[in-house]
Amino acid sequence: MKNQSNPWLTSNLFVLALGMLPAALLIGVLLYFTAWAFAFSFTDLALVGRKSVEWSWVGLQNFERLFTRKGFLDALWTTVIFVFFSAIVGQSVLGFLLAATLRGTRSGIRSVVEVCIMLGWLLPDIVAAFLWSATTSQTGLINALIVVPLGFPPINFINDYALPVVIVANVWKGTAWSYLLFSAALDSVSREVIEAAKVDGATPFQRIWLVMLPIIRPHIATNMLFITIWTFTYFPLIFAMTGGGPGRQTETLAVFLYNQSFARGNLGFGSAISVAMLAIVGVLSIFYLRLLREPK
Amino acid sequence: MADVSLRGIRKSYGSVEVVHGVDLDIKSGEFVVFVGPSGCGKSTLLRMIAGLEPISGGDISIGGVRVNDVPSPKRGIAMVFQSYALYPHMTVYDNMAFGLKLAKTPKAEVDQRVRAAARILQIEDYLERMPKALSGGQRQRVAIGRAIVRDPKVFLFDEPLSNLDASLRAQTRIEIAKLHDTLDATMIYVTHDQVEAMTLADRIVVLNAGRIEQVGSPLELYSNPVNTFVAGFIASQRMNFVPVERAGDGLSLPGGKILTLAHDQLSNARTLGVRPEHLHLASPTAAHFTGTLTVIEQFGEYALAYVELPGGELITVKLDGAPDLKLHDTIHIGLPDHGVHLFDDKGRALH
Repeated sequence: MKNQSNPWLTSNLFVLALGMLPAALLIGVLLYFTAWAFAFSFTDLALVGRKSVEWSWVGLQNFERLFTRKGFLDALWTTVIFVFFSAIVGQSVLGFLLAATLRGTRSGIRSVVEVCIMLGWLLPDIVAAFLWSATTSQTGLINALIVVPLGFPPINFINDYALPVVIVANVWKGTAWSYLLFSAALDSVSREVIEAAKVDGATPFQRIWLVMLPIIRPHIATNMLFITIWTFTYFPLIFAMTGGGPGRQTETLAVFLYNQSFARGNLGFGSAISVAMLAIVGVLSIFYLRLLREPK
Repeated sequence: MADVSLRGIRKSYGSVEVVHGVDLDIKSGEFVVFVGPSGCGKSTLLRMIAGLEPISGGDISIGGVRVNDVPSPKRGIAMVFQSYALYPHMTVYDNMAFGLKLAKTPKAEVDQRVRAAARILQIEDYLERMPKALSGGQRQRVAIGRAIVRDPKVFLFDEPLSNLDASLRAQTRIEIAKLHDTLDATMIYVTHDQVEAMTLADRIVVLNAGRIEQVGSPLELYSNPVNTFVAGFIASQRMNFVPVERAGDGLSLPGGKILTLAHDQLSNARTLGVRPEHLHLASPTAAHFTGTLTVIEQFGEYALAYVELPGGELITVKLDGAPDLKLHDTIHIGLPDHGVHLFDDKGRALH
């Protein structure tokens, strides 16, 4: 094998160490925080009060509370619904359909749609949350423009259908990523392969289902990996729109974690939640990474 | 097997017309090659026959049936693409069986047809492999196999050899010729390589800028090109063209010599064309051209001598064996008694 290291670097240990410093620092900090959360998940550390100083080890008590007390399992279920509908179904499917339809259309239409999708992505979370709350509230745009003129009494969407509204908002916000990734993926599918399928008698649906999708399977898995992890731990949009409410209807794990750690000050319990989230996301990632592997 | 007929085929992209009314009859079982420089419309024409490109004007019939509005799979055609276009996620077997499976062919028949095609192409050992585990030549065979399995009336080849290296190209060329003999099918083959055209075709269609320049057997095109374009395009070594003018009973050549020639249209002749292999070295007195040898390429079995005339024209002479010529030597070239082509001011051949 060819030695590709820079001779100047390898001959100078001091420079080499200096170059490695930022990476070592970064890895150190990452490990420190993970270890911190892991360690304190076995304590009753609190944000304020006596237990913020005189905390003690409580063993697995925090992890038992995850399953014995109400909250964690409900939040987990809400998160699963949120991730499944907004990321896997919403962003992925919509992103793919948009990419597949816009592929080969004239650049004018394509640019307009792309700008619209990208706007959602580029808008800061808090601004987007405000827009969506304002649009879906009792006196909001949807009521003023559609519901009331049709003769129905106004509906308070953000209150009555909180989870669906949050899901739709996140689909709107995050589809750009899937769209961009799938656009790039579809561009890598050779035009002649699609034409060969056409000559072989495949219908448009079969061309997508039997030819395009299997070819871009690694891209689908990559996309799933990213958006699942992001959406699973996604916090600002939901928190700014609903704060987890009404009641606990939109309390996903990230919001639950925030509420427990900072609203209630249970840092020890909060650490246990974050460790549990890490474990769940880790298992999901392994599953997707297996999908990424090429078949023999 | 079926005949293919094109009537006034046109193709435009927006206001730009790229194929300007092509008429052509292809007989059943014939091997026809479309040849021409890039951008001449040959691939577009093939894709229109395949149904991959809508037709802007005219009619296409396959087996006597007008197919303008018939979708590709129902036209009874199979196409071999330049990039092979194999489905990368399917085994060789599934690649070949895909079309039949879509058509809901019984499993036993699919298996029998795939294996029969694999036997013809000698790819039986690779049936369970994925395309990326195959070499370029093997992929090419699978692509042809996929076409054979469909048992089409017409085979369409879109520059199928251009991604292969030179030796494999020559080998595959022979195999395609054999295949045509075995299957006895109508084949339409697009290439920019005139060697493929000459060696494979029953008839060659020379296209240029969206028009047919000439249709004929390889030897017809070689010996009787209708214009300077065809004359210059067909054959391995490009034909030499020199400007001429009428002088008495003959033509005055560059360098001042007179070629006496019996021809009824001598006064219209503006260009004289002669193939490098028809020229010979001559004595100074008998020579028609005299010039300096600027480059000599020795191939062993023959040599190409590039001779610059005093007026700047470059003439290529193909000489048998390994002639003992030195660079910058003065060379005397003689024209043959037959095999001289005359063209008028528009480049049309004078007969």
